[in-house]
Order: sequence, then C-alpha cells, then structure tokens
Amino acid sequence: MADETVDVLIIGSGHSGGMAAKILTEKGISCLMLNAGPVADVHKDTEVKPVSALPFRGFKQPGILPHVFQSNEFNANTWVDEKEVPYTYDADKPYNWVRVRLFGGRSLFWSRQSFRLSDYEFKGKSHDGYGDDWPISLSDVAPYYSRVEEIFRVTGRAYGLPQYPDGDFVPDNSPWSSSMQRYVAAGVKMGVPVCKARSSLGVDGLASSVNLLLPDAIATGRLRAIPNVVVRELSVDKNTGLVNEAHFIDRLSRREMSVKARVVVLAAGTLESTRLLLNSKIANSSGVVGHFLIDQIYGAGMVCAVPDARDGKGTLEVMGGGALIPRFRNIDSKAKDFIRGYALNIYSNTGPVAPHYFASYGEELQDKLDSYHGSALSAGIMGEVLARYENQVSIDKTVVDAWDIPALRIETKYTDNEFNMARDAVDVAAALAEDAGFEVLVKNYDPNPPGYSIHELGTCRMGDDAKTSVLNKWNQSHDIKNLFVVDGAAFTSAGWQNPTMTILALAMRSAEYLAEQMRMGNV
Amino acid sequence: MRRRDFVKGILAASATAKAMAAQQATAAAQASPLTAPHNLPAQGPVAPGPVPWMRGLMEVKPLELRTLVPDSVAQTDAHFFNPQQTATLRRLCDALMPPLKGYPGALDAGTPEFLDFLIGVSPRDRKQLYLSGLDWLDAEAQRMFFTAFAKSTNVQADALIRPWLRVWMTDHPPTEEHAAFVNAAHADIRTATINSQAWSDAARATGRTTTGLDLYWYPVDPDVHRDVAPATGAMRQVENN
Repeated sequence: MADETVDVLIIGSGHSGGMAAKILTEKGISCLMLNAGPVADVHKDTEVKPVSALPFRGFKQPGILPHVFQSNEFNANTWVDEKEVPYTYDADKPYNWVRVRLFGGRSLFWSRQSFRLSDYEFKGKSHDGYGDDWPISLSDVAPYYSRVEEIFRVTGRAYGLPQYPDGDFVPDNSPWSSSMQRYVAAGVKMGVPVCKARSSLGVDGLASSVNLLLPDAIATGRLRAIPNVVVRELSVDKNTGLVNEAHFIDRLSRREMSVKARVVVLAAGTLESTRLLLNSKIANSSGVVGHFLIDQIYGAGMVCAVPDARDGKGTLEVMGGGALIPRFRNIDSKAKDFIRGYALNIYSNTGPVAPHYFASYGEELQDKLDSYHGSALSAGIMGEVLARYENQVSIDKTVVDAWDIPALRIETKYTDNEFNMARDAVDVAAALAEDAGFEVLVKNYDPNPPGYSIHELGTCRMGDDAKTSVLNKWNQSHDIKNLFVVDGAAFTSAGWQNPTMTILALAMRSAEYLAEQMRMGNV
Repeated sequence: MRRRDFVKGILAASATAKAMAAQQATAAAQASPLTAPHNLPAQGPVAPGPVPWMRGLMEVKPLELRTLVPDSVAQTDAHFFNPQQTATLRRLCDALMPPLKGYPGALDAGTPEFLDFLIGVSPRDRKQLYLSGLDWLDAEAQRMFFTAFAKSTNVQADALIRPWLRVWMTDHPPTEEHAAFVNAAHADIRTATINSQAWSDAARATGRTTTGLDLYWYPVDPDVHRDVAPATGAMRQVENN
C-alpha cells in the first residue's frame, strides 16, 4: 500500500492551481494535483451539430442548471449539476453558483477580460473609508501582473489612468469603428473615459490553465495528477498543528482514500476551497472563514441602435469592436448615492438583433429585425459589490452532495449601494448613446442574481491581522503555515475588474514565496 | 511549441492507452478459463463458452449511414395541453410566427406539438405559466369578442396580444401577469420554430449555410446520481427556484 508523503498537494486545476503547479515544479518541487472532475478531450467529447439536431431544439433539458444562465443545450454537460453538488440559500436570496469540474476548471470557459486592480481597490479604505485595505498594494503585485500578461498574451492599449493601470500588453492598434468613435466622442464631452478593453489572446484562441500553465509543469516531470477525486476533508497533525493529510473520494466508485502531504495548496475555486476548510474545521481562529463573500454586479445595461448602420449599411467601418469604460465614479469626485464604482463593457455588434428588443411580432417584427440587423450597440455593467461580513457561506448540515459531503449554504444579497450603482451605470450608458445620436431600444436596471458574474471572491480574505483575516499577504493561512489558499477566496475587496489576472498574479506570487520558504526550511 | 506538442502528446497517449486497454481486455477474455478456479472468488457471471463479444470492433470502420433527426419524418405526439389549450396555442403560434419570406411558420415547424412536449417536461412554474396563460387568452377572447381565441381573426388576436408585448433584455423578461406569459410564449415559439428541422431545410433550400451550428458537448464521464433518497433540503431549494 502506498505510504508516500507528497511535497505539495494542490487541490484544483484551474488558473490558480495551474499557476501554483507551474511555479512550484519549475522551482524543483514535486506536486500532486487532485481534481474533482475528468480530463476533457474535445476531440472525443464534442461534435459540431446544428441546433435542429439537439433533443430539445436548443432549449436545454428543462429543469437542469436553473442557476447557470450561461448554459445552453450545446454546453450543458460541461457545468456542475446542482442536483449532484447542491447548495442551499433562502428562497428570497437566490445565488447563481456557476461551476466547472473538468480538468482546467473554469479556465476552460471565461471571457478573457484581463485587468489589473488599482490602488483604488487595493487601498480602497484609505481612499473612501469603507471596508478594509488589502495588505498589499499595486506595486507589490505589478511585477507578477507583468509576467502573467506575458504568459496570457494580454492585448491592450495604455491610457495612463490610475484607476485602469497599464501593463505589458501586446499592443492593440486596432482602429475604432465610426459608431465607437461617436461613443468615445460622447464620453469625452461628458467626462467619461471610453477606452480599448484588454483581453487575453492566449495561444490558438485558448487562454487556459490546460494550455498555458499545466504543460510547463508537466514538462518538468514533477507534476502528477489524479482526476475524478473529490476532496472531503483536510486533517491536521495535533502535535505540530500542521495540515498533513487530505481525505478524498473516487468520484466514480466512491472509494474513500487519503494522501499525506507536507504542504497543501487550495485552488478549488473560491467557494469550494472555503467549503473544504469549513468541513475540515481548520484555519478559522479568526472566525472569518466564509464571511465577506463578494462578487460583481452584472446584467444591468442598455442596448441602442446606430441609425446609419440600419438597412444593410452596417459595414465594418461603421460597426464592430468593443470598448471598456473603466471606473470613473468616486475617483476625483463623489457620486450622489453610492461608493466605489463600476465599469461598462461596450460592444458594437455586426450581427442580428434580439427580437425582444421590439414590442412587435410576425411580419412587422421580421421587418424590424431585417432593418436593425448589424446596427446594435450594447452596454453592460461590471460593478463592485461591497465586502460585508454578513454576506457569507456556511455548512448546511442537512444537505450533502453525491458523495455525502456536507453542502454549502450561501447567504448574500445586494443592497442600495449596488442597486444605485446599477441605475447610474445604465443612465450613463444611455446618455452617451443619445448624445452620439443613437436610438435607445431597451434598458434594464436590475442586476442578475449574485454569483452570475462567476466572480465569487472573498470568504478567506487576506490581511495583516490574524484576528480579522484568514490569510496573510502571501495567501498563507495565519493559523497553519503549511496551508495556502491561492484562488479568489483570498480577495479583500472585489473591485469592478474581472479577477482572473489578479488571481493568477497572486497565485504566482504566493507559489514563489512558498518555494522560497520550503527552500529555507520554514515550511 | 512545447505547449502544442504537449497537447498532441496527451491526445496520442490517451488514444494509445485506450487501445492498449482494449487489447488487454480482449486478450484477457480470450485467455480466461471457462470457469474460475475453485480457490478464487467468483468474478461475476461467466459466459456459456468462449464468446468473442468484442472481437473485431476495434477494427471496424464507422458505418456510412446518413441518419435523420426524427422531426424530418415524424410528428410529435402531443399529450400535455387539453384540446382547448392546444387550439389556443396553435392559433397563438400562427399569429406570432406565420410563414414569412420563404421560411416556415410555427405551425409548419411543428412548434405547437414541440412546445406541448417541452412544457410537459418543464418545472411546475413553467407549466403553470402556460396553462394559466392559454386559459386566460381564451377567456379574454370570449370576453372581448365572444369567440374562442382559436377562432379569432388577425385583428382580434392583435388586440389581445399587442397590449402585453414588452421590450426586455436577456435574462430579464417581464414578470407582470399576462405580459410574462405572452412574452415567454413569443420567445419560445420563435426559438422552437427557428431551431426546427423545417427551418433548417428551408435555409438549405435557399442556398444558405446550415444555421445554428455549434460545438455540442456530450457527457464527459457519466454524471453520478445518488441511488439513495435525494438530499431533500437541496432538492426543495432547487425545485422552489
């Protein structure tokens, strides 16, 4: 029987786990990676099909994945089935927990938006008095952002805006289409910066752990991996106080097994990492594990039409391309009824227009769809959700998953700060559109349910004080020095930015610190 | 380059491993004794002879058979809505999505029958939306025009439908009574029609490329469903939402 003690056990294989594996193995450290799902093989597991050949004509099987708005009948089999891995919440406070357990996790499917946090996020409390500062600043993370941007081939344009920090980009020299030029000009008049967005080009279109991080780790010969194992609990040596073993279940056979480790790196995704700590009853002397769940508000937005792009005139000179309006509220002035800020994603669309943008049907609707084809310009919010102690997750002892592991209970809701922010964002987007001479077709002020952004963050926040935070500034447990949490759980505040670049940069930074501590014999 | 080679390597290794495993299984089946030795535990049912269950399958070429989707030759048997609701739904389909510009209408696409199936296997709140919505529409036709909605003229149908049409953004359909039904039904009727085999055939007949192509994911390993009583708390939460 195997009685090995692995050097570093990494739980999770997405962006954060992949980065930890790459850094640690390249430093000469052997790692074992556990992943709750299988290795996907696109050549074997997929087929290009017409929607008419799907069993439900593209509707998706009714009743499945009710909280995964991103799912459809083509991709339904890639998401975690909440009947298999349930979670609970109050009926009046729904939460969309969107999960992928394939090897590579959610790094297989993401928007590619690639932003740095600024010191308006890292030092938010110092700026406006709310919440807590992170124990680190942009200058601490900037070198790691640069390296991540190089690996992920982030394309972008420099603007010199402190709230939209520049980076090491593949230059974006693409011209604006004329519709975007008019939107930019409207922004200039109203003091709203309309910038080029920033995104990861990756390699061959993919910007994932499975093609940008794990191959480097595997090439060292120091990474081994086990798919289809679900970790139930971590245990701690009572003599040393160190975590020393992970207990897991074979997903398919449900055989219970254990593996010993010198160091454990949690990278299972924010809420799964936190669920594991709560089920293990460790690393929580602060009582903060599970608290301060944060994300970003999505769903509020506006769609307008560019009149001179209608009736077949929406050429690529007129339409196409995207923009990002970075946070501009509460930088040099103070918004009326909310703190912090939001960004807006802008897209100038050359494709069809959705029928529900018109209160019409039949031939009249078809005529509108034909006329408006290729003329739509949309705006959607990405807004910061404030960190609040009461927005939390805990273990629901009455519910277990398919492997009898207690489920997570999620209690979170948005408040007036988020709702007021969403209203302001939609009004700004519409005002810019009207100033540009566009026809506003539809507006929506209501955010989607919490969790929809798939940017769940916090619940193991980092900080300098072990009494008020779970991790130190190196993503290391205050309580257990050989335990690291390198995914989004470490975030102290959310910001408006897609968190992927920050998760990657912090995972890289943490892994290098861990490697050095192991070299020095401190861990 | 290293990354690309790695991916190729993974694919090759995966294929090789599968082939080896299959060969070993075949070899084991051929070499295994007819019955297990007495000193070993039974290994499950034993075939009544050295039956070569899987022999030759590794080498067989894929069948060159042009398969059909059932809708290209068959009709959906409708069971869920009662006859009056079915008649109302058919009229609603025809009003909202008539044949246009060489493309089939909702009736040609079998949309009423498909929605009968789809709503019949949907969660309770979706069923209720349709059942009460169709009954309401028919009652409104009786109240305003003294006729069944199924028998309404285009002008009458328009007077019943148009006041409830709303504009809305994705994921945020209207929630007010009647508008919720009319807009949901409109969206469903359009989707079921545009995604139908009849629509695809019409597109092909006009020389357009096949519509709605995308990457379909098969189940990646079977999902693991508990064979014991479901976790009732979670199920309750799921069903309530």
